[in-house]
Amino acid sequence: MTSAVDNQPVFGALRQWFDPEKQPTVGRTPDYRFSLANERTFLAWIRTGLALIAGGLACAQFLPPLSVAHLREIIAIALLLLGAVVALRAVDHWARTERAMRLGQELPGSKFPAILALIVAAGALLLAVAVLIKAAE
Amino acid sequence: MRGSPETGDHGASAERTRLAWRRTGLSATAVGLLAARPAFRPDAGLLAWLVAAAAMAAWVALIAIAYRRSYGLRSLPPRPGRRAIPAYAMLAAALAVLGGLVVML
Repeated sequence: MTSAVDNQPVFGALRQWFDPEKQPTVGRTPDYRFSLANERTFLAWIRTGLALIAGGLACAQFLPPLSVAHLREIIAIALLLLGAVVALRAVDHWARTERAMRLGQELPGSKFPAILALIVAAGALLLAVAVLIKAAE
Repeated sequence: MRGSPETGDHGASAERTRLAWRRTGLSATAVGLLAARPAFRPDAGLLAWLVAAAAMAAWVALIAIAYRRSYGLRSLPPRPGRRAIPAYAMLAAALAVLGGLVVML
């Protein structure tokens, strides 16, 4: 995976988010179809993030208070945090892909989808266990 | 899709991207409505109203960005998104923060 910002770790990454075209102007403008495909991938991730945020808000508003104190709020906050992380990761990945395409480099890989899948699966399993325990009582 | 033969855009990528923006706008609408909902409770306080107002403002900004992007996609060749993309992600993250306030209410 190529780091887009070898010399300016944080600030460079932020600049790149806002203007991958100018940071610094590198490589050639790729075929617009590739850029649009990258944009659609970003949008798909943003929808994932928005869905997590909506899930957190729905938890907070529609779940009854749970037997464990503040568990409802904790679930809601966890979902909101996850949604925010997904949104920020989406823009970072978009910028790095855009830069790789300009430079004709290999597209950046990412472990994030696997991590997100594991988190969602773990959450679902925990809830399934909780439902079973409740049913057994 | 107009202009397709001239540009050779057989994948209709501009149109697909425009529809992706629209879908995303619908997701943002759901989030905005959920964030504004506590303000309509009978016992809603000032904070609930402020959160609802901020959520609606963020929603308007998100829809405006999507609208501008569809305009950019209509030109030939379509212009790829630049600053619209980080702005959209920041607003989505801001909605998550507002959601945190809603949970704390």
